Amino acid sequence: MTLTNEKLVELYRKMLLVRTMEEKHGKLLAEGKIQLMGHFGTGQEAVSIGITGPLLEKDILFGTHRGVGEYIGKGMSPRDIWMEYLGKKTGLCKGKGTMHLADRKLNIPGVPSSLGADFSMAVGTALASKMQKIDQVTLYFVGEGTCNQGDAGPSMCMAALWKLPIVFAVCTNQLCEMSYMCEHYPTDDVAPRAAGYGIPYEIVDGQEIEITYSATERAIEHVRSGKGPYLIEYKTFRMALHFTGDPGGYVKSEDLEKWKKRDPIDLCQKKILDQKILKPQEDEKLRKEVQAEVDEAVAHAFSCPDPTMDDLFEGVYAQKGVI
Amino acid sequence: MARTINFLQALNEAMAEEMRRDPKVFVLGEDVRLGAFGQTAGLVKEFGEERVWNTPIAENAITGVAMGAAMNGLRPVLELMFVDFAMLAMDQICNHLGQWRYITGNQYSIPVTIRTAVGAGFRMGYGHSQCLESQFLQAPGLTLVAPSNPYDAKGLLKSAIRSDDPVIFFEHKKLILGGVQGEVPEEEYTIPFGKAVIRKKGKDATVVATMFMVYEALAAAEELVQEGIDIEIIDPRTIVPLDKDTIFESVEKTGRLITVEEGRIRGGLGAEIAALACGDYFTLLKAPVQRVAAPMIPISGSPFLEDLYLPNKNSIIRAVKRTL
Repeated sequence: MTLTNEKLVELYRKMLLVRTMEEKHGKLLAEGKIQLMGHFGTGQEAVSIGITGPLLEKDILFGTHRGVGEYIGKGMSPRDIWMEYLGKKTGLCKGKGTMHLADRKLNIPGVPSSLGADFSMAVGTALASKMQKIDQVTLYFVGEGTCNQGDAGPSMCMAALWKLPIVFAVCTNQLCEMSYMCEHYPTDDVAPRAAGYGIPYEIVDGQEIEITYSATERAIEHVRSGKGPYLIEYKTFRMALHFTGDPGGYVKSEDLEKWKKRDPIDLCQKKILDQKILKPQEDEKLRKEVQAEVDEAVAHAFSCPDPTMDDLFEGVYAQKGVI
Repeated sequence: MARTINFLQALNEAMAEEMRRDPKVFVLGEDVRLGAFGQTAGLVKEFGEERVWNTPIAENAITGVAMGAAMNGLRPVLELMFVDFAMLAMDQICNHLGQWRYITGNQYSIPVTIRTAVGAGFRMGYGHSQCLESQFLQAPGLTLVAPSNPYDAKGLLKSAIRSDDPVIFFEHKKLILGGVQGEVPEEEYTIPFGKAVIRKKGKDATVVATMFMVYEALAAAEELVQEGIDIEIIDPRTIVPLDKDTIFESVEKTGRLITVEEGRIRGGLGAEIAALACGDYFTLLKAPVQRVAAPMIPISGSPFLEDLYLPNKNSIIRAVKRTL
């Protein structure tokens, strides 16, 4: 389905917001103003925003540790993210999750510390949807590096065996932590593994938002209609280091140059301007608004109250005061 | 009206009653439709396959599935056939299961009950015989239940299933397979966590024993009484939370403390209780704390070696005497 102009601008704005959020994070770290390490998804915004675009609020999202893309995509606000990132009492997780963002009202159950532990959790939420006859899809977003975790196999197996409403969205950004994918995989693609479990799959370009959005929309339709799981692999490239403290130097400059030419935000901007969906000055205004929103969110988060010793001991068990 | 049933029936009744009471309760695990030791046998007949799920052999992944189902409104009862296999699920159990409530700032409750068989004595060898309950002591947010008789097993399993937090429920194989019987009321009841029971009153020494070791301690008491030694036996029933009050009220009376567990000695439950004794309760002690536990060696499938490995009545008697 072709995106309306309005929808395209909304997705474009979200991609800008993601990029701006992560740039701000990097800047604050460089200035020594915050301590939370960053795992940025620069260059992958068309994937994180494209896959979450077609989700409904009732649908469940398991995102990754890589930046804020899919969380912004599912509706998390910059203010909520920054209060949690700074470990403030007012954060979504009361400052206890920080980079492990969770938001129950948006159906984002959280992101585990060990990569891929949520592969099976996502199968569990989908199983619960099916058992309770709730019209609800789980979208499991995962990097190709994490697909080598042992739980990937049995999770896909159970999803197919029980015909569960789950989309596996694999973001192949060519880099697995601090190595090229070819050092982790004997193949170019991850998606064909789905075939081993009888799960239909496709491989799509991850740089153009219209492609990522519409492919995911088709997958969600398939899953929502009760046909069982679906897997899509999105081909992109990570333009950032694995995390803000990594030594770097492992990415070939020609790769960076090649993929820079297909930057998802630049591609979307070009389309929006070429088709006169926005005028250049409107685009400029939009970018300034996004920057202002992020700056305001950070400033607000800094002004929020810090958690106290009482907060440290609260919330381990359901019963108050029990540790 | 109480009637006499065995440990296995108690577990089975607890699950069936909770499944009848609450449609959100369901059972999953490897071969649960059949029931490997019989705990879940017959549930599929009453509740259907949609509430009793046979899973693939993938302990870490099925634990994650249970956790995800709990995040989305259900109350899964997961069977990990042997605690030795629960080691395959340690990422889910120790990194995530007990910590999710906290790290999501209380947004998500994880009401998962994991039932798992522990204990030696069946010549099953090194990887089907261990008592590994102490492995879970370091993980925050878990409740650890270790019943010794059918009454406690039923009441505590029902409490576990109703708990809004994850519970690891240990089932000793000598209790499951040994046909240990006990009186269990027909009426509804549950047992709160963190309440120990004094299995035998005594004045000379306090013996804290869990699961099958309660019976070894009772046998030791019978012999010791003939020598004029009168021990008090405390069964904590839950390891986390631990009923420190009952244990140390007894130590206050006896001045002597012996811990007994089938698990290995290093870093075990006995070490934890001994550390408590040496800290807040040091002035109550009239003699050094004694720990009875298994040695730091693997469990052989050889009947001779397995019997030599296990703590028993005699090791308890020796330990008690060392405190007097």
